Amino acid sequence: MSIKMPEPDQAVLARRDEIVAALRKIVPGEGVISSAAEMIPYESDGLMAYRQPPMVVVLPDTTKQVSQVLKYCHANGIRVVPRGSGTSLSGGALPLADGVLLGLGKFKRIREIDFDNRAVVVEPGVTNLAISQAVDHKGFYYAPDPSSQIACSIGGNIAENSGGVHCLKYGMTTNNVLGCEIVLITGEIIKVGGKTAETCGYDVMGIITGSEGLLGVITEVTVRILQKPETARALMVGFADVEAAGECVAQIIGAGIIPGGMEMMDKPAIHAAEAFVHAGYPLDVEALLIIELDGPGVEVDELISRVESIALSCGSTTCQISVSEKERLLFWAGRKAAFPAVGRISPDYLCMDGTIPRKQLPLVLRRMKEMSEKYGLGVANVFHAGDGNLHPLILYDANKPGEMDKAEAFGADILRLCVEVGGVLTGEHGVGIEKRDLMPEMFSEIDLNQQQRLKCAFDKDGLLNPGKVFPTLHRCAELGRVHVHGGKLAFPDIPRF
Amino acid sequence: METLKPRDAKDVEDAVRAAIAGEQPLEIVGHGSKRAIGQPMATNALLDLSALNAVSNYEPNELIITVEAGAPLADVKSLIDSKNQQFAFEPIDTSGLLGTPADAGSIGGMIAAGLAGPRRIRAGGARDHLLGAHAVSGFGDSFKAGGKVVKNVTGYDLCKLLAGSWGTLAVMTEVTLKVMPRPESERTLLLRGLDDIAANAAMTMALGSPYDVSGAAHLPGSVLRTTAGPLGEIGAPDQALTFIRLEGITASAVHRAASLAARLASFGKAEILEDAASSAAWAAIRDVAPFAASGPRALWPVWRIVCPPASGGKFGQALARESQGEVVYDWAGGLIWAALPPSADANAKILRQRVEAIGGHATLIRAPEPVRQAVDVFHPQAAGLAALGQRVRASFDPKNILNRGRMLRGAAT
Repeated sequence: MSIKMPEPDQAVLARRDEIVAALRKIVPGEGVISSAAEMIPYESDGLMAYRQPPMVVVLPDTTKQVSQVLKYCHANGIRVVPRGSGTSLSGGALPLADGVLLGLGKFKRIREIDFDNRAVVVEPGVTNLAISQAVDHKGFYYAPDPSSQIACSIGGNIAENSGGVHCLKYGMTTNNVLGCEIVLITGEIIKVGGKTAETCGYDVMGIITGSEGLLGVITEVTVRILQKPETARALMVGFADVEAAGECVAQIIGAGIIPGGMEMMDKPAIHAAEAFVHAGYPLDVEALLIIELDGPGVEVDELISRVESIALSCGSTTCQISVSEKERLLFWAGRKAAFPAVGRISPDYLCMDGTIPRKQLPLVLRRMKEMSEKYGLGVANVFHAGDGNLHPLILYDANKPGEMDKAEAFGADILRLCVEVGGVLTGEHGVGIEKRDLMPEMFSEIDLNQQQRLKCAFDKDGLLNPGKVFPTLHRCAELGRVHVHGGKLAFPDIPRF
Repeated sequence: METLKPRDAKDVEDAVRAAIAGEQPLEIVGHGSKRAIGQPMATNALLDLSALNAVSNYEPNELIITVEAGAPLADVKSLIDSKNQQFAFEPIDTSGLLGTPADAGSIGGMIAAGLAGPRRIRAGGARDHLLGAHAVSGFGDSFKAGGKVVKNVTGYDLCKLLAGSWGTLAVMTEVTLKVMPRPESERTLLLRGLDDIAANAAMTMALGSPYDVSGAAHLPGSVLRTTAGPLGEIGAPDQALTFIRLEGITASAVHRAASLAARLASFGKAEILEDAASSAAWAAIRDVAPFAASGPRALWPVWRIVCPPASGGKFGQALARESQGEVVYDWAGGLIWAALPPSADANAKILRQRVEAIGGHATLIRAPEPVRQAVDVFHPQAAGLAALGQRVRASFDPKNILNRGRMLRGAAT
């Protein structure tokens, strides 16, 4: 493990039996797991290269229990790591040796479906897909669709501000959440928002979303639901070079078209996917775009033909347009299976997640190819082309000594490159532990201090999910100090009237 | 009062640092178009950002624009309009409501106020379009939040807090905003004569349809008795108007307008307003023209009430009847603008009790200073959330230097 986690607190570890007993009083029966064997499933999340057994696992099933657990931990200086379904790709739910792993898996109920207000109130352990399924009979769905949507929980989606292939048009999690209930580390229960379009006061909902479990534990969520578009059709367009594909994406957006989804794959990804699902992808192209248009039939037909002519003018070498729902899904099948497909051609892979200004794509892919040669590791690229969110998959073999370290160094170089060209470290997977030590590439110490001051407003002892997101932890007292600069001159050297 | 006019972000930093050293709270102003909104403040110097007015970078194909906070909103809007783009959240122009010069206002003020227009139901609010910012905190430090790309989850999303914070957390010096294509066409269904409850039902049905509605508003007949401009021209006295907007490529907008009109047939036969007529009507709805400061209700306090949309009609109707006031509905009932006859507390107490009962909240947008001194302009929050909000504020501005007291009554002293 090359990421250093906070040193376990020996005093806490020494009190383990007493702590387990106290937690059992709050959450009776099977809700507290303390045997080494039974804790194994909780050792890691979707970032499986990292494992760490927690001190104890607690699975409460009421908000009151969550509140009491947190209150107890707060009073006793015990660290807490919240966990939803454990699908984080950035290690957001990696346990701490001296920490309580607080699993929200028992919060499985859909509490209310309100079609008139287009809102659904759910417990945080409900899966993303289950929300759409619960409202499907009336033609509604919940728009954000991370590829783990069968398994990932809505609470985890909020913690990570999850995206998906449709977020260019329909937004990320943060654009689709109306309200939530959170429990602070003190045990205090706070409700924000509801069935209204806006909350009042500071946008606490907005800051909780994407806070990676560092600010509070989510115990209820209200999301907005939308009517499903009447139809959807897709184009599958191949290009002889990546530049032409990138230009095509730019021209589509420039023409005022926001597709429901616009995905790009490079040659290695196309080949891996085709070998796995036989979607009929062309194998002689350097880049493949899958572009989906959704809406009423007349709109989709019109936009398909506009996109087709843009693609032709950009030099596409192949262009197929789906004529049936079956064919549309087949186009997507390869893209959706791209990760497991790459898993078949390589013993292990690392999935990266940077965002870049789209115009930088050819440069980034070129530089990535050079890095691939330098490190001697292959890379396949899938790309949410509409919003510039890149997912390079770095191929390696963990059984070969040193190769994982090499893959991680390669990944870090890619993310540095994303920042260098004007992009960011993560578009949808979160910082977690994976990109934690790269944060200074994107943010100055002042920027990071401001973020940590906000953390202090929620959790001044730093007990919730420490070791994630921030490479260096500062004490709140130190961060909160205001330095009085300069002398007594009221407003020096600024034009005044 | 002293006015400081910084030339750049460094000047802003210096000004804030000096304000900290001298314990002199600053009022932060872009162009000053919304100074009359909020609790009266205890500030003794004005920080005027209007000289920070450059467009740093506009990339239509990347859907982003980076602008200094003091840039005139009108200029930036016409710049992006020239590339057929827009701020999809349809920021409201408060000049009519407040009686300030038309077309004023800065980009920073637009974000700090976060007042979104009719398209909020489809496209989100200002908070959903602020991608990144440079700002100076109440520690006197210039910091960066977010990024300059449309998809980013790196670190806490501080932009969400800056939007709608009325200048009480940090002084934004530069912002990066998401821009979206301007729709090719728009069509508006116009239904006449519905009462508030029926109109709310029609709008609920429209929003529950797959036709991608981008605006749903209702104006009771009594409001239209005295409204000049595009709404007055469309309406007949005492006849209520319900507007439902569809936008997109022409073929689609036409198709959806026809389909939705058929679905809403039980509410009456819909007329259809096309492009220019439609957009004129929606601009008037967005800016709450019926309660304009130039109109007959100039002296009435105006509330902005946000509530669960399907509850809006019943709530608004009772409010108007019992207070002898007037209401206008937007966001399919989820936003109610209420003008109430003048009183010492603008009817705050009773209004808020009722709005809380349906899970909503109310902000006093227009009222004379003594009234704003006497009541909470922003909706009081439950104790725990309010305390958390104050800790959040202190994490940006512990000395309460920036717009002291604007969002919280009693905090000015």
